[in-house]
Amino acid sequence: MVPGFKSSPSRRLRVVAAAVVSLLGAVSLCTLPHRVAPAYAASNASQTLLPISIDYPESGSIFPPGITPPTFLWRDAAGVSWTIDISFADGAQPVHVTTKGERMHIGEIDPQTVSDSNQPPKLNAQQAATWTWTPDAKVWSEIQARSVTGPATFTITGYRDGQAAWSQSRVTFTTSKDEVGAPIFYRDVPLMPSAGVNGVVSPLATSSIPLIHWRLRDIRKPESHTVLKDMPTCANCHSFSADGKTFGMDIDGPANDKGLYAVVPVQKHMKVASKDMLHWNTEGSVGKVRVGFMSQVSPNSRYVLSTFAGPTVKSMMDSYFVTNFLDYRFLQVFYPTRGILEYYDRNDGLRHALPGADDPKYVQTDGVWSHDGKWIVFARAEARDPRPKGQPAALHALDGNETQIQYELYRIPFNDGKGGTPERIVGASRNGMSNNFPKISPDGKWIVFVQCKNGQLMRPDSQLYILPFRGGAARRLRANTRLMNSWHSFSPNGRWLVFSSKARSPYTQMYLTHIDADGNDSPAILIDNATAANRAVNIPEFANIPADGIDDINVDVADEATRIANSKAESTPKTTGSGKR
Amino acid sequence: MSAVASEQDCAPPDEFKTKLHGKPNVDALNDLGVWFASHEKYACAADAFGSSLQTDAAQPGLPHVVFEFGASLYLSGNTKEAVPSLQEAERLGYRDEKLHMILAAALDSTQAVTEAEAEWRKALDFDPENNAALEALSSDLLTQGDNQATIELLDTPRLAAQRSAQQTINLGTAYAKAGKLDEARRVLADGLNTNPDSYEVAQQLAGVLTQLDRKDQAAMVMQLAESRKRQNAAQAGK
Repeated sequence: MVPGFKSSPSRRLRVVAAAVVSLLGAVSLCTLPHRVAPAYAASNASQTLLPISIDYPESGSIFPPGITPPTFLWRDAAGVSWTIDISFADGAQPVHVTTKGERMHIGEIDPQTVSDSNQPPKLNAQQAATWTWTPDAKVWSEIQARSVTGPATFTITGYRDGQAAWSQSRVTFTTSKDEVGAPIFYRDVPLMPSAGVNGVVSPLATSSIPLIHWRLRDIRKPESHTVLKDMPTCANCHSFSADGKTFGMDIDGPANDKGLYAVVPVQKHMKVASKDMLHWNTEGSVGKVRVGFMSQVSPNSRYVLSTFAGPTVKSMMDSYFVTNFLDYRFLQVFYPTRGILEYYDRNDGLRHALPGADDPKYVQTDGVWSHDGKWIVFARAEARDPRPKGQPAALHALDGNETQIQYELYRIPFNDGKGGTPERIVGASRNGMSNNFPKISPDGKWIVFVQCKNGQLMRPDSQLYILPFRGGAARRLRANTRLMNSWHSFSPNGRWLVFSSKARSPYTQMYLTHIDADGNDSPAILIDNATAANRAVNIPEFANIPADGIDDINVDVADEATRIANSKAESTPKTTGSGKR
Repeated sequence: MSAVASEQDCAPPDEFKTKLHGKPNVDALNDLGVWFASHEKYACAADAFGSSLQTDAAQPGLPHVVFEFGASLYLSGNTKEAVPSLQEAERLGYRDEKLHMILAAALDSTQAVTEAEAEWRKALDFDPENNAALEALSSDLLTQGDNQATIELLDTPRLAAQRSAQQTINLGTAYAKAGKLDEARRVLADGLNTNPDSYEVAQQLAGVLTQLDRKDQAAMVMQLAESRKRQNAAQAGK
C-alpha cells in the first residue's frame, strides 16, 4: 500500500513568494524609518500599533447574565505580555489587568472515548498561536453588572519590553437583561465510527452505546449534570413540551429498528418504563418500517408529531438516504427522501396521518409545533428513491454522489388534526438550497431554520437563518460559525437560541446567541466545558423547567425490547388514514 | 525490471519466496508490491504491481491495483509514466483522496497546470481543509494570474482558522495583485498573528504597509521579524 502522501512545497511556491516580494518592493530595515517606540495613544493606535487578532468574544457579543466567566482569546505576533483594560459606558472604574497570557490548551480527555477511528482533539493553526485570559468569578460578575446598560470595551495592548506598546485591539460586548431562564438538555456522544467484520460502517459500535450520556446544563454553573447514561440501547432525538411538563425520546427497539418512543412526565427523578413506550410499528410486527424521525411532543403534551415512511413504503432503505463514514468528523449522512407527517394522539392511542403533510408524492419531515399548538411548520421536497440504481456510494460528507435533495419549508394549520392546505414559506424555499430543521420562536414571530446545499443534519456547510413566521426575506444569523451550525432550540422566553457547531473542534460544542424583539442576533457565545474535549455535544434543547428540574432518568425498557422481539404484538398504535395516500 | 528498479534491491523477502515460486498469482504479486511500498522501495513496488497487471488485466479490485502501480511509479520518481496510470485508475472508478493528490502533484510537475488544478479540487472535495492541496492549488492559480479564484479558494470563514503561512502569503499576494491592499493588509496581519515566526509573511505585510504609506508599522513588522529571526537562530544554536 502506498503510504500517506504528503506533498512537499513545490518549487513553484517559492517562485510565487519571490515574485510577491518583487511585486511589492523589497522591504528591509534599511529602507524603512527606524522605529521609535511609540507612546501609547489610543486615538491613533490603529495607525501606529500592530493589530492584535481578538478571536473571542467577537465585537458586538451579548452575554447572558450569570454565565460563567468566558475565556478571552487573542493572537499577537508582537506582544509577550499584555494589559487588559475593560471600560464601561457608565464611566465606572475600568478593570485593569496585566497578564503574560496562557496558551490555549486542549481540555480534559475522556479515556473511554479514545479510539483507533478518531483522533485526539488538536489545536488548529490559529488556536496554537492563541493566548487566553479568563477573569475570575468576582471580576466577571463586576464586568457583567456594568455592561448591561451600555457596552463594555475590552482593550488589549501588547508589550515586548515592558514599556513600549507594540500592538493593540479592542472589542465591545454587552450583558443582556434577558435571562436564559432554563437549562439545556443535550446528548453527549463519543465520535467513534466503527467498521464491522463485513466492512459496514456504523456511527457507534453497539458495545459503545452505553458511553452516550444525556446531560442538563445550567449556564450559570461551570459543569453539566449527567442525568442518564449506560443505556443498553441507543436513544435519539428528544423533545420537551413547551410547558416543560412532558418529555419524549426516540428509543431504538430490537435490531436498532428505531421503533419505540417514550413519553413521560418530567420529574426530578424520572423513570422510563415499558408502560411509557409507544410502539411505532404499524402492523405490530418487528422488522417492518417503524421509524419515527424528529418526533416532537405538542405544546399541550397530547400529541406526538413525527415523520413516518407511510403505508406505500416497504422498507426503511426505501425512505432514507443513510451513509456512515469512518471519518469521525462527519461520520454520518442521514435524511428522509420519502415520508409523511403523522401525529400520535395520547388520548385515543391512535396514529393519524396529518392532512396537508401526508402526500406520498413528497417527503414531509422535520415537523414542529408553534407554541400555541395551532401551526405545524415542516420541510418538504419531491419524494425520490434514496439510492437510485447505479449511483456510486458517497465516500464523505457533501460527496456529489449523495442523493440530492433540497427541502423547502411549508406551513399548515394543525386544526385539531384535520390539517389544511400546505403553504410554501417564502424565504425558505425556491432558493436552490436545502431549507430544513425549522424551529418557531415562542412568541410565534420567527422561524429559525438551517440552510445547506444538500439534505440535512450534520452538514458541514449548514448555516442558520431567521425569517418572519409568515415568510419574507431570510437573514443569515450573525452567530453562524465557520463550520456546521445546527440543532438549534429557543429558550422558553424566546430571547436565546442554543445551537451546536464544530467551529473550534471536530468534537461538537454548543453556543448561544441572543435574539432581540426584531429578530436580530449576536455573535456566538460558547458554553464552556459542556463535555470532555474528545466527546461531542448534540441535540441541545432548552427545557422549560427549573435549572435543577431533572436529577436523573432511569430507563428500564430492556424487557420491552425483548417482549416486542418475541411478539407479533397487541397494544400497538393503529393507523388511521386521511388525506392522500 | 525497470531501470530504476534495477538500482534497488528488489529481492523478495523470505516470506514471499514460496508464494512467488513458479508463476505467481496476482494476489502474491500485489502483496509483494504492498510490502515493497511499505518499505519505501517504490520502484520495486511498481515492478510488482506492473507484473500483477500483466498477469491479469481484469483482476478483481483492478482500479486499486492500477492506482498502486501509478502511485509507486510517481513515488519512485517516474512521473511521466505515473500520470497515465493514475488517470487510468480514475477512469476505472477508483475514488480516493490520495489518488487526486498524487495525480495533481504529478501533473503539476509536468506543467499540466490546468489538469492539476482539477485534481487538487477533487482532493479538496474529500477534505476541504487539506492544507497541502490548498497550498498547491492556490499557487497554481496565482501562477496562472487568477487572483479572484485564489481569493475565493482561501478567503473563506472555514479556512480562516487554519491558514498556513504559505496560504496566507498566496492570499495576500492575490489581494495585492488585485489592487485590494487593505484586504491584503488584513489577511497578512492576521496571518502574522497566527504564524509569528514566518519571516516571509512579515516581509510581505511590511511591503503592503509600505504601499499603504504606513511606514511606521512596516518598520515595526520588520523589526519584529528580525528580532524573532535572531531569537530563533539563537535557540536553534543552543
